[in-house]
Amino acid sequence: MGDTAELKDREQKLQGLGSSLLRKEDARFIRGQGTYIDDIQLPGMLFGAIVRSPYAHARITSIDKARALASPGVVAVLTAEDLKPVKLHWMPTVGGDVQAVLADKKVCFQYQEVAMVLATDRYAAYDGAALVEVGYEELPAITDPKKALLAGAPVIREDIADKKEVGHGPRTHPNHIFTWEAGDKAAADAAFAAAAVTVREEILNPRVHPCPLETCGCVASFNKATGYLTVYVTSQIPHLFRTVLAMLSGLAESKIRVVGGDIGGGFGNKVPIYPGYVVATVASIVTGVPIKWIESRIDNISTTGFARDYHGVGELAADKDGRIKGLRFSALADHGAFNSHVSASKLPAGLFSICTGSYAIPNAYCRVDAVYTNKAPGGVAYRCSLRVTEAVYLIERMMDVLAQKIGVDKAEIRRRNFVKPEQFPYTTAFGWTLDSGAYQAALDKVLKAVDYEGLRREQAAKRADPNCPTLMGIGISTFTEIVGAGPTKVCDILGVGLFDSCEIRVHPTGAVIARLGTMSQGQSHATTYAQIIATELGLPASDIVIEEGDTDKAPYGAGTWGSRSTPVAGAAAAQSARKIRDKARKIAAHLLEVGEGDLEWEIDRFKVKGNPSQAKTMKEICMVAHTGNLPSGMEQGLNAVTYYDPPNLTYPFGAYLCVVDVDKFTGETKVRRFYALDDCGTRINPMVIEGQIHGGLTEAYAVAMGQQLPFDESGNQLGNTLLDYFLPTAVETPHWETDHTVTPCPHHPIGAKGVAESPHVGGIPCFSNAVIDAFAHLGVTHMDMPHTAWRVWQKCQELGVNKRAVRA
Amino acid sequence: MKVNLARTFPMPAPAPQAWELLRDVERVAGCMPGAKISERIDARHYKGSVAVRFGPANMSFRGEVEVVSLEPASRTLRLIGKGTDTSGGSGASLDLTARVDAVDEVSSNLVGSSEVSMSGKVAAFGARMAEAVAEQVLTQFGANFAAELKTRQAATASREGGDASTAPVATAAARPAELNGLALIWSVLIGWLRTLFGWRRA
Repeated sequence: MGDTAELKDREQKLQGLGSSLLRKEDARFIRGQGTYIDDIQLPGMLFGAIVRSPYAHARITSIDKARALASPGVVAVLTAEDLKPVKLHWMPTVGGDVQAVLADKKVCFQYQEVAMVLATDRYAAYDGAALVEVGYEELPAITDPKKALLAGAPVIREDIADKKEVGHGPRTHPNHIFTWEAGDKAAADAAFAAAAVTVREEILNPRVHPCPLETCGCVASFNKATGYLTVYVTSQIPHLFRTVLAMLSGLAESKIRVVGGDIGGGFGNKVPIYPGYVVATVASIVTGVPIKWIESRIDNISTTGFARDYHGVGELAADKDGRIKGLRFSALADHGAFNSHVSASKLPAGLFSICTGSYAIPNAYCRVDAVYTNKAPGGVAYRCSLRVTEAVYLIERMMDVLAQKIGVDKAEIRRRNFVKPEQFPYTTAFGWTLDSGAYQAALDKVLKAVDYEGLRREQAAKRADPNCPTLMGIGISTFTEIVGAGPTKVCDILGVGLFDSCEIRVHPTGAVIARLGTMSQGQSHATTYAQIIATELGLPASDIVIEEGDTDKAPYGAGTWGSRSTPVAGAAAAQSARKIRDKARKIAAHLLEVGEGDLEWEIDRFKVKGNPSQAKTMKEICMVAHTGNLPSGMEQGLNAVTYYDPPNLTYPFGAYLCVVDVDKFTGETKVRRFYALDDCGTRINPMVIEGQIHGGLTEAYAVAMGQQLPFDESGNQLGNTLLDYFLPTAVETPHWETDHTVTPCPHHPIGAKGVAESPHVGGIPCFSNAVIDAFAHLGVTHMDMPHTAWRVWQKCQELGVNKRAVRA
Repeated sequence: MKVNLARTFPMPAPAPQAWELLRDVERVAGCMPGAKISERIDARHYKGSVAVRFGPANMSFRGEVEVVSLEPASRTLRLIGKGTDTSGGSGASLDLTARVDAVDEVSSNLVGSSEVSMSGKVAAFGARMAEAVAEQVLTQFGANFAAELKTRQAATASREGGDASTAPVATAAARPAELNGLALIWSVLIGWLRTLFGWRRA
C-alpha cells in the first residue's frame, strides 16, 4: 500500500491533469499588477481620439479642422483625405468586403469613425475631437433588416452598388450581402410534405454586445530608423493580426511585432481588426512617434464587435410521436454597414449548420440571407463559435415547441430524438461528424438530481391554484456544441489555415518554457497548458512557464476564440511534450543500458519492466540531455515544436435545467435553480472548468434576461452605456449548480473537447425555455429575448394572468 | 429618436395681434428658451442656435431655420430647423406647425404641433426624458409668447398714450439666455410626480 501512496504523492506533486491547481495568473491580477494596453507608456507617445458621426446615415458635406488644430496640445487631425495617399482610407475585410477606416464622403452607421485627433494627452485629444466641425446631410436610415431588401430601400453602400458579389456568391439587391445554404432542400421539403406534425416559429437572437471589462485599444510604435513596427494591442489573434498588418501596410511581416499582453476579457469582441487600430498604426508610421488609442465604453458598445442580430425561422416536421423527420431553419442576418463579420473564408454563416443539435434528424436544410443596415458593422462570436449560439437557440427552442404541439413532456421529446451512444461517430444531415456523446445519460443524471417529476408535480399544482402569485417554469436544454476550429480543409482566414502550435523548451534543471499560438484573455492558459505538459513530461506544473501573444516569441497560431485553445493548441502542447518524452525514452534506455521496449513510463520516470528499482526520472534525463552522455548521433537539448491540424472539430455537450418563478404582477423572473451538467471530455483543471461554466452561465443569463442593443428608426443607439446595457453583477447573478460526465474526444491526444462556450450556448435557450414554459399552459409557444420584467409583465397583462381573483 | 407634441396655449390677445407676432420669426425664436437667430439669409432662411445645459454638459446646436410656409388666411406658420451640436456628438431637427385660432375679441389660441428628431448622444442619453423635456420647453415657449404679446399690447397702449417704450427690451433681457437643464429637470420631475400620484391639472 505504501507503494500506492508513494505513486499518488508523486502524481500530486506534478499538479497535472485533473488537479485543481490554483491559477498562476491570479497572483498578479488580484494585486493589480497585470499589464493592460492602457498601462503602456512610451516616450513621446501621442494619444488619438476618434471623431464619430452622430447620424446613422448621412453625407459628409464638410470637415473643418481649424478650431481643433488651434486647441492646446493638438498635433494633427486625420481624415479619410489624409489616409488616401497611403491607400488606407478603406481596408479589406475577412468577409470579402471593404470597410471605411475613416468615413469617405458618407457615414453608414451612428458613431462611425470620421477623423482621429492626435494630441499630447488624452484630454487634449478629446477636447480637440469636440472641436472638429463636420457638416452632414442626413439620409434616411435602415435599422430593420426586414426593410433592407425592399424595392425602394435607401442604398447603404453606394461604393459597391454595382458589385455583383461581395465575397460569397451573387447579390440580389444593393443591400444584399450573400445567401448561404446547406443541406438537402428537396429531401427536407419531402419530409415536411409527408409529416404527421409540423411546427414553425419565428425566433429572434437580438443584437447584443460581449462588453468585456477592458475596452479595445492599441499602442502602435514605428521606429523610422530601423523600419520596425511594434503594436501592443487587445487582440485575441496576434499572429493573424500581424499578417493582416503586413498585408495592409506593405511592411515585411518579419519587421512587425504584435504583442497581446494581459487582456481584460474578449468574448469575441477582440477578434476583429478595427479602424482605430489601423489609424493609430498609420499615424505612427507617418509621424514616427508612438500612438495610443483606447476606446471609451460608449465607443466599445457602439462600434466594435456586436454579436447575433439573427432573425430566425425554425420549422420541424415529425411523426405523430414526435420523432423528427425534417428540419428547415433560416435566418435573416443583420451584418450592419460593412461585412466585416468574422468568419472563416468558406463559412460565411459560421457553424450555423450545427443546428441539428443533439438529435438524429435525417433530412435538413438551412439558409442564411445577410443584409446591410445602418448599424455598426461586424458580427462576432460572443462566447461561442460563430453562429453556434443562434443555431443551438433555434433547435433547443423548437424542441420545446414540438413537445407542446404533440403534448409530450419536454424531457421526453429529447429522449425520443437523441443520437444514441452506439451511433457515434455520427454524421449529421449537414455533414458534421459528432465525435462522441452520451446525451441520455447526461439528461438522466440531471433529471434525477433535481427531482424532475417532483418539480413537474409542483408546477401542476401551482397552475391549478388561481391564487398562486407566481408562474413556475422549467427549462431544459440538451445542447451539442461545435468547437475547436478547425481542420484546415474546412477552416481558413485570408488563406491561413486555423491550425495551432506549441513550442516546448526543457532546461537542464527540468524547468520548462512553452510557447503557443493562442492568446489568453482570462482563460487560465498559464495554468491549464502547464498541467497538460506536466502530465505528459512528468515535470511539475509549477516550473512550467507558458508564453503567448508576442509574435516575436511564439510560433504561429490562429489565436483564442471559439473554444479552440484546448482542442487545437492543447493538442499541439501534448504532441510536443510527447516528442520530448520519446527522446527522453531513448536517453533513459541509453543510461539504463536496456532497449527502449524494455522501459515503461510511470508518472515522472522511465522504469525497467520487471525491475522497478532501475529507473531514470525525467528531471535526471533533463540534465543528461544537456551533456555529452547521449546515444550516439543524438543532438543535445529537449525541445520540440508541433503544428497541429485537427482532424475534426470537437463536440462538447451538456444537459441544463432551470427553474424559474415569474411574478404575475411585476413580470420579474426569479431563477430558483440552475443545474448545469457539462461534458467536455477529459477534464484538465476542475476548478478552472467550474470558473468557465460560472462565467458562461452568467453571460447566458445576461443575454437571455436583459442584454440588447436597441435602435430607433433613425438609427440612434439607445443602449450604449452601462446605464442601459445589462451587465450582471453578483447581485443579479443566480446560484449555479454544476455537474459533469466524461466522454473523451476520440481524436484529441488527451481526449479534451473545450468548455468555455458551452454554458453560454446551452444556457441561453435553457433560460428562455424556462420563462416560456411558465406560460406554456396558456398556449404560449415563444417569447423573444431578453425576458426583462417589462416585457414579461406585458405578456402577463396580455394574457390577463395578473388580474387578481375576485374574492367571494 | 422622434418626439411628437401637440399643444394649445390660450393667448391674451385677439387673433390678428397674435398672428402679427407669430409671423415675425426672429421674435418667435426669441420666445423659445435658449434659442437665438444670429443671421437672416433671406426672407425664408435664418441661421441660429439653441443652447441647452444638462448638468455639467453644455450643448449648443447651431443650424438653419427654413420658413416653409406662412399663410395669412389660416394664420398658419410651418418651419423646419436643423442643427448640429457644435461638439459634433449630437444632431437635432424640428418640424413645427403653428396656427392662431380666434376665440373672441380679446383672446385667441396658439395651436402648435411639432416633431423633434434627435441623433447621437442627446438621443442616447436624453431618450427617457425627451418627451417631458420637450413639453416643458413648449410650456415655457407658450408663456414667453403670451408675455411678449402682453408687452406689445402695453407698448401699443403707452405709445397711444404718447410715451416711447423701453418695456419690450426689458422683458427680453429678463428671459433666460439658455435652456437651463437643472430647472428643466425639476419641472419635469414635478410633472412626472403629478402623473404618478394622479394630480391632474384641472
